Amino acid sequence: MTNTIQILSIEKTGKESSLQKEHNNKSIKIIDGYFFSTNLDDQKFTKISKLISNDVSQTILTKKNVNKVLSSYSNFNWVVEIKFLPGVTDNIATTVKEIIKDNLKSSFKSFELGSTKIILIKGRKEDITKISKNEANPLIQTIKIYPFKKYLNNFKKNHFKIEKVKLPKKKYSKKEINLDISDHQLSLIGKLGIEENDKSRRGTLGLDLESLKAIRNYFSTINRKPTDVEIETLAQTWSEHCKHKIFSAKIDDIHEGIFKKYIKGATEKIIQLRKDNFCVSLFTDNAGGIEFNKDWIICHKVETHNTPSALDPFGGAITGIVGVNRDCLGFGKGAKPIANTYAYYLADPNKNYQLYRQKNNKDPMLPANFIAKGIISGVRVGGNCSGIPTPQGNVYFDDRFAGKPLVFCGTVGIIPKKIKGKLSHKKKANPGDIILMAGGRVGKDGIHGATFSSEELDPNSPVSAVQIGDPITQKKMSDVIIRELRDENLYSSITDNGAGGLSSSIGEMAKESGGFIVNLEKVPLKYNGLYPWEIWVSESQERMTLAVPPANVKKVIKRFNARGVEATIIGKFIKKEKAIVKYNKTEILNLDMEFLHEGYPKLDLKTSFPKIKKEKKKIIKKSSLINKLHKLLSSPNIVSKEFIATQYDHEVQATSIIKPLQGEGRVFGNATAIKPLFDDEKSIALSQAAYPQYAETNPYDMAGCSIDTAYKNLIVSGANSKKIAILDNFCWCSSDEPDRLYQLKEAAKACYDYAVAYQTPFISGKDSMFNDFKGFDKTGKSVKISIPPTLLISSIGVVDKISHLTKITPDDGDILLVLGNTRNELQDSVYSKIIGYEKSKNPVVNSKIALRTYRNFEKANKLGIINSAIGIDLGGIGIAVTKMAIASKKGLTFDLKLKNKISVDQFLFSETQSRILVSLKKNKLPNFKKIFKASDYTIIGKCTGSDVIEFKDNKKIMRGKISDFAKSYKQNIKGL
Amino acid sequence: MNVLVLSGYGINCENETLHAFEVVGIKGKIIHINDLIQNPKQLNNYQVFAIPGGFSYGDDTGSGNAMAKKIMTNLYDQLMDFSLKDKLIIGICNGCQILINLGLVPSLNKKDPEVALIENKSGSYECRWVDVKVSNNKSPWLENISTLNLPVAHQEGQFMIPINLLKSIKANNLIGLQYIDHHKKLAKGQFPFNPNGSKDDIAALTNQNGNVLAMMPHPERALYHYHIPNWQSKTLKKFGDGYKIFMNAKKFFA
Repeated sequence: MTNTIQILSIEKTGKESSLQKEHNNKSIKIIDGYFFSTNLDDQKFTKISKLISNDVSQTILTKKNVNKVLSSYSNFNWVVEIKFLPGVTDNIATTVKEIIKDNLKSSFKSFELGSTKIILIKGRKEDITKISKNEANPLIQTIKIYPFKKYLNNFKKNHFKIEKVKLPKKKYSKKEINLDISDHQLSLIGKLGIEENDKSRRGTLGLDLESLKAIRNYFSTINRKPTDVEIETLAQTWSEHCKHKIFSAKIDDIHEGIFKKYIKGATEKIIQLRKDNFCVSLFTDNAGGIEFNKDWIICHKVETHNTPSALDPFGGAITGIVGVNRDCLGFGKGAKPIANTYAYYLADPNKNYQLYRQKNNKDPMLPANFIAKGIISGVRVGGNCSGIPTPQGNVYFDDRFAGKPLVFCGTVGIIPKKIKGKLSHKKKANPGDIILMAGGRVGKDGIHGATFSSEELDPNSPVSAVQIGDPITQKKMSDVIIRELRDENLYSSITDNGAGGLSSSIGEMAKESGGFIVNLEKVPLKYNGLYPWEIWVSESQERMTLAVPPANVKKVIKRFNARGVEATIIGKFIKKEKAIVKYNKTEILNLDMEFLHEGYPKLDLKTSFPKIKKEKKKIIKKSSLINKLHKLLSSPNIVSKEFIATQYDHEVQATSIIKPLQGEGRVFGNATAIKPLFDDEKSIALSQAAYPQYAETNPYDMAGCSIDTAYKNLIVSGANSKKIAILDNFCWCSSDEPDRLYQLKEAAKACYDYAVAYQTPFISGKDSMFNDFKGFDKTGKSVKISIPPTLLISSIGVVDKISHLTKITPDDGDILLVLGNTRNELQDSVYSKIIGYEKSKNPVVNSKIALRTYRNFEKANKLGIINSAIGIDLGGIGIAVTKMAIASKKGLTFDLKLKNKISVDQFLFSETQSRILVSLKKNKLPNFKKIFKASDYTIIGKCTGSDVIEFKDNKKIMRGKISDFAKSYKQNIKGL
Repeated sequence: MNVLVLSGYGINCENETLHAFEVVGIKGKIIHINDLIQNPKQLNNYQVFAIPGGFSYGDDTGSGNAMAKKIMTNLYDQLMDFSLKDKLIIGICNGCQILINLGLVPSLNKKDPEVALIENKSGSYECRWVDVKVSNNKSPWLENISTLNLPVAHQEGQFMIPINLLKSIKANNLIGLQYIDHHKKLAKGQFPFNPNGSKDDIAALTNQNGNVLAMMPHPERALYHYHIPNWQSKTLKKFGDGYKIFMNAKKFFA
């Protein structure tokens, strides 16, 4: 009899090697453990062990062999046992249960099991403690450290335990909340949550006093008290996360709000100006859609998952990526995800910031490197396991992300324009349609996620807000929807369950029919004991909500079930504009749809001009040009991100056509392309840009630079300028402060100006307004760390022909030219941070000049005049030219005899926007000159094909070997 | 001639795998494993059986293990029977891991798996292009091919083979593909040419008849010239190297 199965690899695993290296200890072994809730007899033990292990590469530990087997590796003396807290998603355990169920059929019925990682070491207790800190997150896992002897004893005596979720058996009775209380009491409900009978609070609702008063007024007009479920629902629906109140608020004299005026306003203006509208679906659906070719639509959506990733980096990031995948599945009638994008804004992983959420060094923030590694692997597992390529991304480091990392996850989807003759992007839940929930079950995961992501991260941030995505469950569900349901038009509408769970998805869809009635007791649960309000707002992942005509319901459920996916009828859509929720026949929610969606008090925001934080002066270090290049190349924001590109599968679906690593020398590119259809040579080019480093100096120019770079990268890659759309993701801080709001307004205004100038419409966007950390440093001093305002612009464009796609590698004899003029714009640049401060200006985009460059480039590229090209961004021309040399492994000469007035360093490292470095075959120069005016470009040198880059001025020649530059560029990022 | 391309539970390369067969002129169908279990007789309609890449069961309990166990319980005899006929089986990446876990390759002493695929030496997922050379050109899948440039994308691609077995694998000429360096010499375990530290640079194994091929690299992702990294700098034909593998299947039945 035993209650555990423990398996270890005979040979050293990759994970063990890296742990051994990291901790400089050769005696580390990892055991995969499975703890069962019941005892297994010998027969079952043998059967199950065989099912979940590999005879060739692994050994199964038994009471008899455990000591002997383990002592053959080392004289272990410490053990750490890491397992998930009850209720946290345990994907491995789910698989093991499924394997047992599938293969042993009915012989083994009711049991629970949990997966465990057991690490053994020979060393000191401090060593095992250190390992446990790097390998486990106390927020979602229990960590037990004990001597090896105890481990053996536990083995002998069956002392390995799993803790099941044990919720007290509660009988639910309808709970009414009295809102006729003092303002103070009222705000407590908003801040700390509804009070339970035992006086404890449920956790923040994120409702301000004005909102609670609006709720009070509504209920006084209908002459009854609200139920707890009603208040919870309103909190979800009215959250900043769901309603984007700041973007829709009156701000100064902008009555319609900045979203309507500047973002949507830009798109409307562009559609009005252009005759060739290629936008199909804008702002209203889960993603934005544009026309790809005559038969297909592509959609794109980018989400953030910042707060969850600060608490549980792996879980937060994996949930972020599989969550945004569902936004594609929920676009129109369901688009197939065909590419993921990512952008991470992180603190320096090599620094120890020592931040605490509570006084006296309590409740520490996770270390920066733990956060960085967790985020990178979360998206890896989410993307790779879902079979969606992840070609496009970037990472940026700045100390100001120490309190909150920014995690942007995006997905591109594709859907036929018409399905059975009907437009696929249109959907409508009809009265009488059945509400079907498909996919995973509901647990306490992510309760209050939507309300708390709208709040600052402080000691009251609830831990139950963390979810962990399960990509395989989602993949199974997604396959059924895209392949077996959608194209037969078996449902009338579909949306995903993300923030706010069912309350949000059903609430939104019901706008299409009128209203809804839901029976909450029908919702399948992960474990018993959830309160109705918890079921209603839970953010358990991997669920879609479908509106299914009654005649199709049986068929739809059957198809889901045949693929091992659960689907459950939980209510129906109705014509009456009422939101009604019942639990075992008791009505616990009954709201007018109008009040549910529009009843929140509109904000009236005022802004004020902020104090400009000037860049700190830093003495310029005297060093040679070659040394400066090395320093910049190896700096974290320029250094290659190859280690991420190679762990994200960018080849799956066989669509990768411009890859993240470019040239023989593998330079991390700033745009990528996929060719999504086998029978059309059209491709999709993707890029993104953000400049948080420019934000404090001038938020307007910062936004201009983001749009310019994201747009430019697609032009450089070969996209058709008439088919480029952009997405906005504003990540702001302290958005209740007038000076931050001023920056927001300025950035939004730039969005309008540049989008309209470039005629590139916004098709979708999302904002996250409170990325601040409030807590304490190691001395107990209270600190507030706000992220720099960050606007990520993601760009998506159509490349008409394969031959339009460019490369970044010049050939021997090519002439090198810079398109666009270089100004002294070194302020806030990588150069000024690494080398030193020069009196300078911040980059300002002149859209007129930029457009001239871009249109001419496009023309020249289509005529085959351009041989290679790279967008110039961080580190300026100096870095762009070095990257070209590294990518092509071909030497260059660079002429520094400058005609203009700026210094050599200013010319080489200024981050002036709207410039492209190109190479031409010599014989193309005459044709090139027919397109470009002499004042619009500078010839800077040529490709020699040698193994060095040579910079020549009047006096001397400076040389650097390409292989040395490549070494600097490919250095590991310290701490990762 | 028809190919059955398996799907379900996290397999995710079925579309492009089927497309690759179609391009060379082999018709086919994607069949969900549950449908195949319900009606195993439909195997008779097919001459090629392909298990594509993916993440069946999320790689939990070892890549390919859970799916192999599902097949073992429900379809093993039918699949074994298929492999003993004049038919072809290919497992790519996760499909390779599944075939190895089923013991259909190298299948020297039947039934039990003899080889394992373990985590890459680097400890991380590797998505990169590699060069491989054909070692067993008796396999119909690999006939008349000398080297291939293909992508790999896996976390667990290191072949682990007990020494004695390795001897008989070599004696029987069952090594399908081996990783090579830029000079077309065996990679000798050197990263990144050998991306996972596989013993003897093994990238693929076959069974004794050569009709069952378990390969870690993805030929379906190297089908066209524009799949190949930096294709713009090269003068290339219409197809990439992966095409050759599928074309060989077509030739086998010609």
